[in-house]
Amino acid sequence: MRTKVLQNQSDPVVPATSLQDSVIRTVGLTKTFGSVAALHGIDLTVPRNSIVGFLGPNGAGKTTAIKLLLGLSRPTAGRATLFGMDSVQDSLAIRSRVGYLAQSPRFYTHMTARETLEFTARFFYQGPAAAIRARIDETLELVGLEDKADRPTRGFSGGERQRLGIAQAQINYPDLLILDEPAAALDPVGRRDVLDVMERLRAYTTIFYSTHILDDVERVSDYVAILDHGRMVASSPTAELLDGDSTTYELTIRGDEQATLRALRTHPWVSDITTAPQNGSIAMTVSVTDEQAAESDLLRSVIATDDIVVTAFGRRHFNLEDVFLQLVKEHGE
Amino acid sequence: MTSITTAAAVESPLVPVNTTGWRGGLGNLVRKELGQWWATRLWWVQTLIWVVLLNGVATVIMLEGAGMPAEELVTEAVQTFLQMGAFAIGIGVVLTIQGAVVGEKELGTAAWVMSKPVSRASFVLAKLIANSVGFLATALVIPSLIFVVQAQVLLPVSLDYGQFALGVGIVALSVLFYVVLTIGLGCMFKGRGPVSGLGIGLVLVGQFFKGMLPLPLVMATPWLLGDVAASYALASPPDFNRPIPIIVTAAAAVALVYLGIWRFHREEF
Repeated sequence: MRTKVLQNQSDPVVPATSLQDSVIRTVGLTKTFGSVAALHGIDLTVPRNSIVGFLGPNGAGKTTAIKLLLGLSRPTAGRATLFGMDSVQDSLAIRSRVGYLAQSPRFYTHMTARETLEFTARFFYQGPAAAIRARIDETLELVGLEDKADRPTRGFSGGERQRLGIAQAQINYPDLLILDEPAAALDPVGRRDVLDVMERLRAYTTIFYSTHILDDVERVSDYVAILDHGRMVASSPTAELLDGDSTTYELTIRGDEQATLRALRTHPWVSDITTAPQNGSIAMTVSVTDEQAAESDLLRSVIATDDIVVTAFGRRHFNLEDVFLQLVKEHGE
Repeated sequence: MTSITTAAAVESPLVPVNTTGWRGGLGNLVRKELGQWWATRLWWVQTLIWVVLLNGVATVIMLEGAGMPAEELVTEAVQTFLQMGAFAIGIGVVLTIQGAVVGEKELGTAAWVMSKPVSRASFVLAKLIANSVGFLATALVIPSLIFVVQAQVLLPVSLDYGQFALGVGIVALSVLFYVVLTIGLGCMFKGRGPVSGLGIGLVLVGQFFKGMLPLPLVMATPWLLGDVAASYALASPPDFNRPIPIIVTAAAAVALVYLGIWRFHREEF
């Protein structure tokens, strides 16, 4: 795999032209705990009305970064702005426009789910009471907790707490939802529901969420930012990250492997070829140095080889797991 | 899960809160904290404890001292009630609310609340207000009212209720001091050990060692407030300057409030 997705730390998630429409922007955001650096100067830009997956292995610094954005923690160096406001100086104003779900959401155990939501809503709305009640009912329905609304949260399972966490996070119609591992404690159905909610909310809000579930990121995220050991190792639109690498092609053939290899090696722009048997066929990965020449002549030269049948051909496509593991591995090295 | 109605936000009849700055979220937090006192069994458990303890001991004294001279009996009953109140409620405060701040930091509810538009000062002040109200009502006002009734029924002479109220007011200052101290320590430390250790230690050192320490030092503490309260209630000035412990304790309480808020501002979740 090429390192095309591995960008310089100063590369934001979005192009500079979109910066004015960004909801989150960090510049050199750094956090150290004593002598341990949890974040090394991360630069990140999150555009409005997008879903950004914040990906990284455990201990990468995702939660630390989120806490800095919310003003729950102070940066050692660098700064973060949300809606153009400073995360430290304007934290209160920022938090009035944000909904937040913690990694392991905790609530007051003597309160019921409904009371928890009312308590949360009262930080944002002074009334009228009937409208607040209606909003709470609507939110309980959204997360499927209507039948447990009047139970104290001390008896809630992890999944129910997570659903309540999502409910309280979006009760104020936030302009930005920050979700720390929103689907981690949920079963597959709950996970699907959460992703559905996120997709529907996309039109009204920006969602920045951390996760280690790669399938979820692939499914709903417009952008991906990958953090490893406190460093931003990649940040890119998801499609671009997963899109084929134009310098690597995959083809599957039946027939004379050696003849095909000879034909390919006649091209000076073919830099590397690997082969592997695949269900009676041969899978080939061809790396090239001239994308235009390859686009034009690669398939043609293989087809022109005698006694060869090409059963599959195309640019190499990645899944997020490939990208993630490769980036983390390269970064580790 | 079903439909999303976030679009409704545009036409929502909900009226946003307009409290900002250091008071952000204060009203809501005070309501929540008061709810933990009055919407749970905490209020009647506390009331029961203090009525049994303070009024129970007072009853025993009033009944046991039936043969004593009237003035002596009144002095004994009032002194015991107020001095024990200042001492025992102090310990009760520390034991009951030692986890008010630390517990929330440990559980993660403090971080959750602080992710809402809430100022750090509001978080601390709400705990001070609600716990002060809770303890003053259940541990002092209710037992004091019962004491007045007891005195009317069991004592041979009537109390000077104005003076007695003044004495109760001084004990109230002591209670407030220990509420502030416990919440302040909770803001400063991460575990319950230092909070309860320092809080209870301060009460006990005062109770058992104040007689051995130099008077000027003791006067700069809340330890004499029980004696001051009894002296006001009985209109019998002691051999020290009564306002000094009152002023020092009040000033220390204010300083602790500032210190607690300052420290909580620096807290990282």
